[in-house]
Amino acid sequence: MIVENTQTQMRKGVLEYCILSTIAKGEIYASDIIAELKKAQLLVVEGTLYPLLTRLKNNGLLSYNWVESTSGPPRKYYVLSEEGKKVLEQLDKTWQELAFAVQTSIGDRKVK
Amino acid sequence: MNKTIIININGIVFHIEEDAYEVLKNYMTDVKRHFMNSADSLEITTDIENRIAEMFNELLAKENKQVIVEQDVKSVIEQMGTVEDFEHAEEDTKASFSNTYYNTEGRRLFRDPDDRLVGGVCAGIANYFDIDTVWVRLAFALSLLFAGSGLILYIILWIVIPKAVTRADRMAMKGEKLNLQGFKKNFEEELGSMRDNLSNFRHDARPFVYKARDFVGDFFHHLGVFFNGAGKILLKLIGIFILLCCFGFTVFLIVAFVALLGFGSFAPFHDLPYNLLRHHHAEYIYTSAFLVAFIPLLSIILITLKGIFNTGSISRSTGTIVLVIWLFALSVLVFNITKIASDFRSSASFSETINITPAKDNTYHLKLNDLKYFTAEDSTRLNIKNLKPNIRVTDDPYDYNDYEHFQYRNVHISIEKSDVNQPVLEESYRARGNGYEDALLNARNTKYIFSQQDSILKFDYRLYPLKDDLWHDEELYITLKMPLNSKLVIDENLNNMLQNADIYNCKVINKQDKATSATFMMTDNGLQCKVDTLVTDTIIRKHLPVDSSKNLKK
Repeated sequence: MIVENTQTQMRKGVLEYCILSTIAKGEIYASDIIAELKKAQLLVVEGTLYPLLTRLKNNGLLSYNWVESTSGPPRKYYVLSEEGKKVLEQLDKTWQELAFAVQTSIGDRKVK
Repeated sequence: MNKTIIININGIVFHIEEDAYEVLKNYMTDVKRHFMNSADSLEITTDIENRIAEMFNELLAKENKQVIVEQDVKSVIEQMGTVEDFEHAEEDTKASFSNTYYNTEGRRLFRDPDDRLVGGVCAGIANYFDIDTVWVRLAFALSLLFAGSGLILYIILWIVIPKAVTRADRMAMKGEKLNLQGFKKNFEEELGSMRDNLSNFRHDARPFVYKARDFVGDFFHHLGVFFNGAGKILLKLIGIFILLCCFGFTVFLIVAFVALLGFGSFAPFHDLPYNLLRHHHAEYIYTSAFLVAFIPLLSIILITLKGIFNTGSISRSTGTIVLVIWLFALSVLVFNITKIASDFRSSASFSETINITPAKDNTYHLKLNDLKYFTAEDSTRLNIKNLKPNIRVTDDPYDYNDYEHFQYRNVHISIEKSDVNQPVLEESYRARGNGYEDALLNARNTKYIFSQQDSILKFDYRLYPLKDDLWHDEELYITLKMPLNSKLVIDENLNNMLQNADIYNCKVINKQDKATSATFMMTDNGLQCKVDTLVTDTIIRKHLPVDSSKNLKK
């Protein structure tokens, strides 16, 4: 249980950062974000993304544009807001620190 | 071949197979419920729906088909993720909204509706202290021995402790951490519990009365559950009882029916209603009456068997045929009853006057005729004429085994003062029939035998039918008009027929209880008991108006 819990915590913390990073590359559709995250093996299912996106949007980090789609309802294409960009910069910095901290603490220990 | 349903996801129309739709619907209700407590639930679920619509479109386009099947829905769900999958990504969000409502740490005292015998109080307590329910129940059962104090305590606890309605309640009750897997229930249930949840919040603020009212409702609910469970045996017993009653009644019906058919027109019963229908196609009436009574009985038996014991049933067509037979029998019965009733529609009467030879000493003895009269045919058949002269065939009206001609006992005698100095007997015959003529005919078809031997006046107790045996409510009103100061010695056997004289009373007044007759005098005030003593104020007088019309009247 403890292991699972820690894993969840670690993933969760990283997830938002990854989402913001993905969106920062340019206007992007939710399922494309998923594709990216799947590639990074962070997310498995799409459904989990929508609440996160909504929350980030409500926090003012994201905004979206409606784009007409040929294969269904209009799509939401997400972009980072100005504030989102600032937050991402901070997160970038934090991540560098974290990565350094983790790397340092692992040290010489062999990680499989 | 499969049934398809047309659904509309945010403006896009899809054809979806029925079972696929069920899966999709359940999934969406799960999702909606999952996000229910989030402020953005509508937006999130709309996003998800839109994405599902898009995926459907892609699938349809890719496989070049038109209908979404279950497999498609499953693959979409797989891609979108189930509620369990959502849980991981969202731990913090969830905690932020659920912790405000539910204290997941520690246990809360609830009544446990899942593991209850009566109100779930014991199970709730057991859950709270994390012990086996059996011990709590045992403790309560033992406490009942102490003047039932446990019962009162139980009822109080029942009222005070809230019932665990929502899943969250149940988890809190058992000290389980809230997790989203636990929430996996179908939407309808969850909606119901959401409503209960809301009302539960109100409950906390409610005064005691409302709780008590809830308790009463609860109590009857559980009573119902008890009857449903333990009462199943009771139900079976009732079923057996009904069956036994029906079988008994059926046997009675069959015996009665066969007996009536067997005796036919010689039915041993001459009372109502049998004497009404001796010639009116009695067999048909008996048969239809039997069917009218028997078929519902049979239905009750079958329904009881089917409903309670779940065995035996008849096919629809058989049922229809039986129903038609029943309706037919009913109509035959109603038709005949109406026909018979119409025979009593009108009444008619006529009067006849017979002169009585005056007795020398103005004393008359009124007696009951105990001789049996026979028709000419009967006397020939029974060889009456060849009887020895000293043999008499007697007829006793008080022998109640003689049911024959019972219906002709409607003879009423009243004694009045005659206007002339000559005793006169007036016979007024009445009968009913289908129309006046018929009634009159029926009245005329009745014979009464009155005879006089010097001072002895003999009255028969019954009427003789001349033509047929059917009963037409024949009645005979005899008015005996006696001159003033005539002395009447009336036999007590006539008492039942007499309308304005009470022989027994007269006997009591004269203190002659053992006498077989009483003496009356005709006075100006009508017939009066002749009292031997000088006491005259104990006058027995009854004066009933008697129709003395000499004319035929309707």
